[in-house]
Amino acid sequence: MAVASVTQAGIVGRHHEEPDQLYVETRELRVQGFLLFMVSDLVLFSSFIFAYLYLRNTGQGWPPPGAPKLDLALAAINSVILFGSGATMHFALENWKHEKFMKFAGWMVSTIVLGAMFLSGQIVEYGKLAVGWGSSGIFGAGFFTLTGMHGFHVFCGIIYLTILLLQAAQGKYTFQKYTGLTLGTLYWHFVDVIWVVLFSIFYLI
Amino acid sequence: MAVAAVHSGGIADHIHPEPQGFIRKYVFSIDHKIIGIQYMITAGIFMLLAGALAEMIRAQLMRANGGFMTPDTFNTVFTMHGSTMVWLVIIPLLTGGFGNLVMPVQIGARDVAFPWLNMIAFWIFPVSGLMLYSSFLMGAPAAGWTEYPPMSLQGAPGTSMWCAAIFLVGVGSTMTGMNFLVTILKMRAPGMTFTRMPLFVWGQFVTAPLLMIATTALGAALAALFVQREFGVPFFDPTKGGSPLLWQHMFWFYSHPAVYIMILPAFGMISEIFPTFGRKPIFGYKMIAFSSCAIAILGFMVWAHHMFTSGMAPQLQLPFMVLTMLIAIPTGVKIFSWMATLWGGVLTFSTAMLYSVGFLALFTLGGITGVFLAAVPFDLHAHGTYFIVAHFHYVIAGGSLMGALAGLYFWFPKMTGRMLNETWGKWSFWLYFIGMNGTFLPMHWLGLWGMPRRIAVYDPQFQTWNQIESVFSLVMTAGIILTFVNVLVSMKRGKKSGHNPWDARTLEWQIPSPMPYYNFKHIPSVFATPYDFAEPLPYRGLEEELTDSPPPVPAAH
Repeated sequence: MAVASVTQAGIVGRHHEEPDQLYVETRELRVQGFLLFMVSDLVLFSSFIFAYLYLRNTGQGWPPPGAPKLDLALAAINSVILFGSGATMHFALENWKHEKFMKFAGWMVSTIVLGAMFLSGQIVEYGKLAVGWGSSGIFGAGFFTLTGMHGFHVFCGIIYLTILLLQAAQGKYTFQKYTGLTLGTLYWHFVDVIWVVLFSIFYLI
Repeated sequence: MAVAAVHSGGIADHIHPEPQGFIRKYVFSIDHKIIGIQYMITAGIFMLLAGALAEMIRAQLMRANGGFMTPDTFNTVFTMHGSTMVWLVIIPLLTGGFGNLVMPVQIGARDVAFPWLNMIAFWIFPVSGLMLYSSFLMGAPAAGWTEYPPMSLQGAPGTSMWCAAIFLVGVGSTMTGMNFLVTILKMRAPGMTFTRMPLFVWGQFVTAPLLMIATTALGAALAALFVQREFGVPFFDPTKGGSPLLWQHMFWFYSHPAVYIMILPAFGMISEIFPTFGRKPIFGYKMIAFSSCAIAILGFMVWAHHMFTSGMAPQLQLPFMVLTMLIAIPTGVKIFSWMATLWGGVLTFSTAMLYSVGFLALFTLGGITGVFLAAVPFDLHAHGTYFIVAHFHYVIAGGSLMGALAGLYFWFPKMTGRMLNETWGKWSFWLYFIGMNGTFLPMHWLGLWGMPRRIAVYDPQFQTWNQIESVFSLVMTAGIILTFVNVLVSMKRGKKSGHNPWDARTLEWQIPSPMPYYNFKHIPSVFATPYDFAEPLPYRGLEEELTDSPPPVPAAH
């Protein structure tokens, strides 16, 4: 590919740049700041999870009367897809660290595709449920709000990873200085972990 | 120099080029000092608005049978007064304002960790404030600053705007919290260990995680209220399986820590001012620092003490009551430490010191009524009465706001290079102090006699005391206005202050006033806490700060 070969040359050209003190310290700051952002995002999810569990336990029984039945099989397949994308994201960053750009790009593309597949699966599930957010009572208040928020995070993640891939292709990151890629990986794993919790509370308990 | 070598090329030596032009210097500035002043000016403007609303409340309550407002208008007025004071005045003033202005310099840094994020966080604040006030155009929120459902669900369209505005201001607070936390963790000067940090930095350090965590939880509650109002998602509607109590849990999980967001930075300020004007080391440095941590942690475990009468599970009342009363211990530790700091000191009663002593007295009163209210049997009697209003105004107007005013009189020379007029300052203090007590002290017994809060008309037997309060509220306002006038006049005409008018020992007083954009020519190294007044200053590397040597060269990138 034309873009990739140009990029390879570009990266090779800056191959021996050593990380300086400013880079090392800035990287620490950015990673720490990003971790704190994820903490506050986690609080946002936790608050809604608390709200869902609270409403679930107000004494009317769960699922509430008239709530649609969730499709466990579809959700399980979807979960495997999302966890798989976590693995491919991990491989992408590892290949970057080992200075293999093409493999990195391949794993990034598979991560993005798997993320898109997960979102499509969610849309299929929403379609099968065939009830509205506002009209499905506290079922919708819990299920659609939380999975919707998570789906929005996946959607943002797909855009985020695409931008990172394009930036990497244009030579914004070197094999020594790649804080942006680290942050993208952290974000994607975060979205994965949130799904573990959501899957458990909606489908398993 | 060996010290400089430690950090050479690192982020501590990274200097932004000097901003050029009015816009980059004063409007979209990334300099923490300018941003701090921007916060203070914006919060000051909102404070005038909220003060006007407060005077409308007091004017209405001059007569038992109703004054010039309909009850509906009255509801919107006290709702907006509370919302403005909490989210647009006190929190931005104490964290974004004084935190930005002072904290990075006190830890010997050149800026916060993420200057751009800082700028964005600030600009969210006036925008969301305008959004909040725009709700007057579409029917302002009227269910009080707590916006309990079902009243907030029935409120005018402006209630949704209220949700959006407070959500946004919370996003800004969250950014500030993250920024400050990383700054304090990573950007301290060499030798500035945690137990050598000035206590104001400790105040900000403990407040930052509260800002970050609690504000996000509030964001969730506001989003839920918003989608219920706009899309009918029944979080809080019991007819569809929701629960109004859920809102109270989610709201107070934020808003109780928010109380500490509003007071911990003020604790920090007081801890700077007492040693400086008492010429004595702070008593119990570590106890003051660690008790702040204890308050912050306990603060997350006590939210349901606001809900004793709400019908929540009765078996939870006792644990929440005990945990709430436990907070009196770290708070008491602080109050006794400050008193011991003043004991035997050579006290100078400057305006900043007067406000600080006023803080100590009034905050203690507000804290003690807080312990009353933590007791379930008493709370069942006093809940929803003017006793509550008295309690939290003693804490916020007598504590947080007095702390902020003390900070203003203390750090104004650092901001502008000029002194505030001390005579006017002392007048403003006495007017504020007398007016504040005259306004809120009678509310204690009015509440105990059973006068409910948030009402536009009331039983005529309470009228005399309400009239006394209204008159004193004008005295209080006069004190505030005098400070505003003092600031406006002294900015241009005040006496030149020099770099260290109070002979204070923290790092910000060792550099010129107003502070240059790079803060320090050389990053200093620190050897001890700043409070040992008998010793020489515990810093090295500050020799050139007050000389004419050229400023440091900005980094190339």
